[in-house]
Amino acid sequence: MLRLRVFDRHKRLWSVLQSTIRGNNISNHIPNTTCRSSAPPHLCARQRAFYSQNSPKTPNPGSSAGIKLRTRLVVTLLFGGGIIGTWWYVHQEKEKRIQMQRLEQLRKVALGQGDFHLLDHTGQRRTKRDFLGHWVLLYFGFTHCPDICPDELEKLTSVVHILDKDPSLPSVQPLFITVDPERDDVSAMARYVKDFHPRLVGLTGSAEEVKQAGRDFRVYASNGPKDEDGDYIVDHSIVIYLVNPDGLFIDYYNRMKNDTQIAESIRNHMKTFVRLFPD
Amino acid sequence: MSAPNASQRKACWDARDELWKCLDVNKDLTSACEKHQREFEANCPAQWVKYFSKRRDFLKYKEKIEKEGYEPTEGASKL
Repeated sequence: MLRLRVFDRHKRLWSVLQSTIRGNNISNHIPNTTCRSSAPPHLCARQRAFYSQNSPKTPNPGSSAGIKLRTRLVVTLLFGGGIIGTWWYVHQEKEKRIQMQRLEQLRKVALGQGDFHLLDHTGQRRTKRDFLGHWVLLYFGFTHCPDICPDELEKLTSVVHILDKDPSLPSVQPLFITVDPERDDVSAMARYVKDFHPRLVGLTGSAEEVKQAGRDFRVYASNGPKDEDGDYIVDHSIVIYLVNPDGLFIDYYNRMKNDTQIAESIRNHMKTFVRLFPD
Repeated sequence: MSAPNASQRKACWDARDELWKCLDVNKDLTSACEKHQREFEANCPAQWVKYFSKRRDFLKYKEKIEKEGYEPTEGASKL
């Protein structure tokens, strides 16, 4: 029994080896036999036909690839251009909207800011609307002022004279609003403005009207203590305001600026001015 | 009482300038400048006299600070 088992194993191993060798031989021999030997010619012809069919196809992939590449580039460029165009359009729209909002805000400010309802030194009722379309230089002071108001009004007068010398510039309207309505009535204002520029308009009114005007321009004003004669000094901020033809307060000049500097600044504002309310 | 006009203002300022010049020369000895002081008071409203006197004090104080620098008052402690 032991011998039979051993023999059986050996036999199986041999059969496996045989089948392996046979397979290899078959696969190797078939193509050689078909082509080289005097096999039927139609078989060889078929193979050649197959090769010839392959030949025309060879250039096709090349030309096809070229066309595809070009198409791909064009599509990419168009797509990219579309994206950039869309971005630019959205950007422009946004800028436009922001600018319109800005203009609208400026128009509101121009209409509401710094309005006044006062009497001029000839007794006529005046509001900011009367001076729209004109450049305005505006100073708050009082007629009993010791030295600063006269100095500033002389400076204001000088600025107006300097600008008047240039015919290409629009004329400037100087205004003087009192912070002391108690004493500065119409006749007092008339006497006072006479000493300065002939175009200088003095404005006064009731205490409430004057206070309102000062508040709109953020002007500080405070009456000092009265002496036995009833005289007093009014403490107040010292600023010359520039208002443009739209009624917008666009610049101010303090005590440190001289008439030449102020005139130059105003000239620049006039040259860069763009109307908010085109007629 | 109406406000001084241009010529009245100038008269006041001129009197003030003369007084200050005298005080500068005499090192603020008021007795030496009594004539100018009277002219000053005659040409200016009373409130202006007070105002300009205060202003002169301020200008001198300002000049002192600019020249000598600021010195804190003695006794003031530093935190």
